[in-house]
Amino acid sequence: MEAVGARSIGARVMRVEDPRILTGRGQYVDDVTLPGMAHAVFLRSQVPHGRLLSLDVSEARALPGVVAVYTGEDIARLTTAAQAGAVSGMNLSPDMKSPSFHSLATDKVRHVGDPIALVVAESRYIAEDALELIVDDIEMLDPVVTYEDALDPGKPPIFDELEDNVYLTAEMAFGDIDAAFAEADRIVRASIQVHRHQPVPMECRGLIAAWDPSAEHLTIHASTQSPHMLRMVLPDQVGIPIESIRVIARDVGGGFGLKNSVTREDVAIVAAAKDLGRPVKWTEDRLEHLATAGHAREEMADLEAAVSADGVLLGVRMDVKVNIGAYPSDPFPGAMQAYTIIMSFQGPTRLRALAGTSAALFSNKATYVAYRGPWATADFLRERLLDIVADELGIDPLDVRRRNYVVRDEPPLAMLTGRPFAGVTTRESVEQAAGLMGWDAFGERQRAARREGRYLGIGMASYLEAAPGPRVPGQDGPDIMGYETAHLSIEAGGQVVIVTRQQPHGQGHETTLAQVAADELGVRFEDITVRYGDTDITPMAIVGTGGSRAATMANGAVLHASRELRGKVISLAADLLEANPADLELAAGVVSVKGSPVVSLTLAELARVASDEPHRLPAGAASDLAVTRTYDGGRSGWSGGTHCCIVEVDVETGIVSFERYVVVEDCGVPVNPAIVEGQVRGGVAQAMGAVLLEHAAYGEDGQYLAGSFMDYLLPTTTVVPRIEIHHVQTVPTDPDVNFRGVGEGGMIVAPAAIVGAIEDALRPFGVRALEQHLPPARIVELAGTLRPR
Amino acid sequence: MTDHRANRPAPGVEIELVVNGATRSAATEDRVTLADFLREGLGLTGTHLGCEHGVCGACTVLLDGEAVRSCLMLAVQARGRQVTTVEGIADGDDLSPVQLAFRESHSFQCGFCTPGFVMSTVALLAGNPNPDEREIRETLSGNICRCTGYESIIEGVLLAARRNVEAGLPG
Ligand code: FES
Ligand code: FES
Repeated sequence: MEAVGARSIGARVMRVEDPRILTGRGQYVDDVTLPGMAHAVFLRSQVPHGRLLSLDVSEARALPGVVAVYTGEDIARLTTAAQAGAVSGMNLSPDMKSPSFHSLATDKVRHVGDPIALVVAESRYIAEDALELIVDDIEMLDPVVTYEDALDPGKPPIFDELEDNVYLTAEMAFGDIDAAFAEADRIVRASIQVHRHQPVPMECRGLIAAWDPSAEHLTIHASTQSPHMLRMVLPDQVGIPIESIRVIARDVGGGFGLKNSVTREDVAIVAAAKDLGRPVKWTEDRLEHLATAGHAREEMADLEAAVSADGVLLGVRMDVKVNIGAYPSDPFPGAMQAYTIIMSFQGPTRLRALAGTSAALFSNKATYVAYRGPWATADFLRERLLDIVADELGIDPLDVRRRNYVVRDEPPLAMLTGRPFAGVTTRESVEQAAGLMGWDAFGERQRAARREGRYLGIGMASYLEAAPGPRVPGQDGPDIMGYETAHLSIEAGGQVVIVTRQQPHGQGHETTLAQVAADELGVRFEDITVRYGDTDITPMAIVGTGGSRAATMANGAVLHASRELRGKVISLAADLLEANPADLELAAGVVSVKGSPVVSLTLAELARVASDEPHRLPAGAASDLAVTRTYDGGRSGWSGGTHCCIVEVDVETGIVSFERYVVVEDCGVPVNPAIVEGQVRGGVAQAMGAVLLEHAAYGEDGQYLAGSFMDYLLPTTTVVPRIEIHHVQTVPTDPDVNFRGVGEGGMIVAPAAIVGAIEDALRPFGVRALEQHLPPARIVELAGTLRPR
Repeated sequence: MTDHRANRPAPGVEIELVVNGATRSAATEDRVTLADFLREGLGLTGTHLGCEHGVCGACTVLLDGEAVRSCLMLAVQARGRQVTTVEGIADGDDLSPVQLAFRESHSFQCGFCTPGFVMSTVALLAGNPNPDEREIRETLSGNICRCTGYESIIEGVLLAARRNVEAGLPG
C-alpha cells in the first residue's frame, strides 16, 4: 500500500477488487441463489430460417420437476412485442425500417439458436431433460447469409412485414469531394472485408428475475455493463413500471460491449418469473453464447481514394455494408455502425473530403452487438488504405503516415466532422514507435532473412479515440451516453463513500475512483469505498460502463465532487473550530489548523456533528456531508497512439509469430498505470485473436459453425507475446481532468498493424491483404503454398 | 404457498470426499459434474464455469494435488478423494503466495478466469517451484483469459517463482 500522504493518482495502487476475486469470493450472477429459485433453459432453433408450423410441449410440461414451459404464443400473451432502439427513439429514424419481434419465435425462426421455447424446472438438469421432449415442426426457408443474399430481391424478407432485407441506409458527405477527385494525381481503389467475430467474455450471459407479487416489484440480478438499461428497456415489454424494477449486478466476468444491451432472453426470463411468482435463473452455456449472444464486425467497404503524387489522401468515397444478423440489438441497433464507420474514418489524417454511403442488412445470423470500439472497422479501413497507397506509389508506409497525419496546432485544426484536433500527439507517437522499432534499419534485416527463406514483416497503424473526446464547437449538451453523475458522502464512521453509475467488469473502478478521491479530498485511499451495481442507489445511466468513458467522465465527476465535498468539510470544521477556512487543511481524514495540528477534527467527528448535533451549526450551514455532482466532460481531449509490430510468417504452416510488439500511446494522465497497461494489452490480445484465430463462421447454408472453443479459437499464452507499452508526453486540454479512456485503443488499431506486418512479410508473394482475418489456412493460400480452393 | 420441492426427483447417491481439508458428505445424482456439485451442492462458487467442455480451464481444481477440470468429471469420481478449490488455499485473510504474487502483479481484471489460473499455477509450482517463462506459458496455455493479454499473469507466476527461489525451494 502507498505511504500516507503520497499521491495516489499515478501510482500502481493494488486493486481493491483483487483479494475478493483471487480467493473465489467474487459474486457473479450464477453464484447467486434465491429461495425457491427455479432454473431456465431455452429450446433453440437448429435451422437458420424457417416457418414454425407447430410446437408440442405437452410431454415436456408433464416431466416431473418441470415447473412451466413457455412457447412463443405464451410470450405473446405475457409481453408486448418491441422494436429495437424504441427507448431512444432510434427505431423511428427516417432511413430505418424497424421490425417488431417477441423474445421467443412466434411465426418464424430467423437464425440458428433463435429461442423457440423456454423451460423452467427445479434444476438445470431437469430443464435440459425436458428440452429433449419438445417436438417442433419447422418448414425451411431459403437462408439469407451474405451481403449479396441480403441485397438479392429474390430472397425472402426475414421479417415478413418488411419488403426486403435492408434495415437502414445512410448517406453523408463532408468537404468538396468532387474537387478532391479533380485534383488527384492517382485514384486508388480497394474493397476491404472484416469478418464476423465476437467479444466472448469469459462469463456468459445470465439473469435472475424475482417478482414479488404483493409489492408488485421486480428484482433482477444480472451480468450486465448497464444495470439501469434493463430498467429503461423492459417496462414497455413486460408491463412493469421502471420505478418497480431494481437491478443488482455485483461482479461481472467481462463484457467488451456485448453486455450493453437488453436481450430477448432477458425479456423472456422476466416474463416467466412474473408469471410464476418465483425467482427464475438463466445461466447461458458456451454453445448458446457463441451461437446467439452476439457477434460483431461483419462489415465491408468499397473505397475509392483521391491521392496526390506524394501519397496524401485528398478525398475518399466509401460504400459500407454491415451484416447485422436477424434481430437488431436493443437499445443500440448494430445498424448504428453504418454511420459511425463513415464518421470515424478520418482519424488523425488531414483528409479534405469524405463521402459515404452505407447499408445495414438483415441476415439469418445472430444479433450484431457492440464489440470494443464498435466503429473499429473505420480505423482498419483507413490504415489499410494508407498501406495500399504506399504500396501503389512506391513510398515507405512510414512516410505516407508522416504526410497524412495532422501536426498539432497546424491546419487543419478540426476534423471534417468539426471535432477539433485538440492536443493530438499522433505524430509524436509515430516517430517514437518508428525509432523504438528501428524502422529504417528493418529493410536490411528483412532482406537478409528472406535470403534464408524466412519472412519477416513490419506494420504500423495509428488512431484517435474519443472517450468522449473534444466537442464540436457550438454543439452543447450530452451525447447519447449522457453526462456522468457521482454521489459522495461521509458516513458516520468517517468513511468516504463514492456511488458511481459505472458498472465495472474488470476495469478496476473500485480502485481508480478511490485514488482520485483520495488525492482530491485528503483522505487515505483505504478509507474510501466505491459502491456500484444496485439501481436503488446508483445514478441513472443508459450505459453504465462502456465506450472507455470512465477515465474522463467518472473520474471527472468524482474529482469535482471531491473538491465540493472537501469545501463542505472545511467550512463545517471552520464553524466548529471557529477558525478561518483558509487556515485549515484536510489530510489523512483529519481537518486541522495549519501549523497547530492539535486543533483538529476527524471526519468521523464532523460526520457525527452533522447528523446528530445540527444545532451546533450556524444558521444556513449545510448539515450533510454529501455531494451529488454531474460532470459534462469538460474540455476532454483525444486518446490515441501508434502500434508497430514485427512478425515472422512461416509460409509452410501459415503460423504467424510476433518478434516484437510496441504500443506508444497517449491516454492523458494515467490514474493507475498498471490498470492502463492491462487495458492496452487485453485489447491487443483480442486483436491478435481477431486476425489470426477467431471467426464466427457460418456455412453457405446459414448453419453456425463455431459453437465451441474447439471451433471458435481464442488466443492463449502461447499466441500472445509480451507487449511493450510506451507513453508520449500528453498535452493537457482541460484545467482539471486529463484522464482519458484507454479501453478500445488496443482493439481498434492493432488489427491494422498486424495485418500490415503480415502483408509486408508476404510481399515476395505479391500479396495484398484485403481482409482482416488471416488464419494459417488463409496465409498458406495467400503465399501460394496451398492453392486456394 | 405451494411446495415446489414436492415433485423434485430424489437425489441419487451419497458421496463423501475431503474438500479444502474438511470431510464433506452430500447426496448427488450420478450425472452431476464435480463443478456443479462444488458450486451448487457445497456452495463453493469460487470454481467457475467458462465453457463446460474442457477448454477454458476456469473450472480447474486440485484432485489429490493434480490440476483437473471439474467440468469434465463427475462428482462421484471424486468420492473418497481430496479436492482443493480456490477457496481453500488462503489462510484466513492472508493470501497464499500465488494469490499474493498475482495481486502484486495486477494479474487479473474481471476475475472470471482467475480461480482457474490460481489453481493451475498452484499445481505448476508444486511440481516445479521455479519454471521459466516458456514452461509457464506452456502450462497455462490450457487456461483462457479474455481480459489481460496474459503478460500480467505470467509476471505473477514469475514473481511467485522468484520468491520460491529466495525461500530456498529447489528450482
Ligand atoms: S469450464 Fe471446465 S474447462 Fe471450461
Ligand atoms: S480477468 Fe477477465 S477473463 Fe481473465
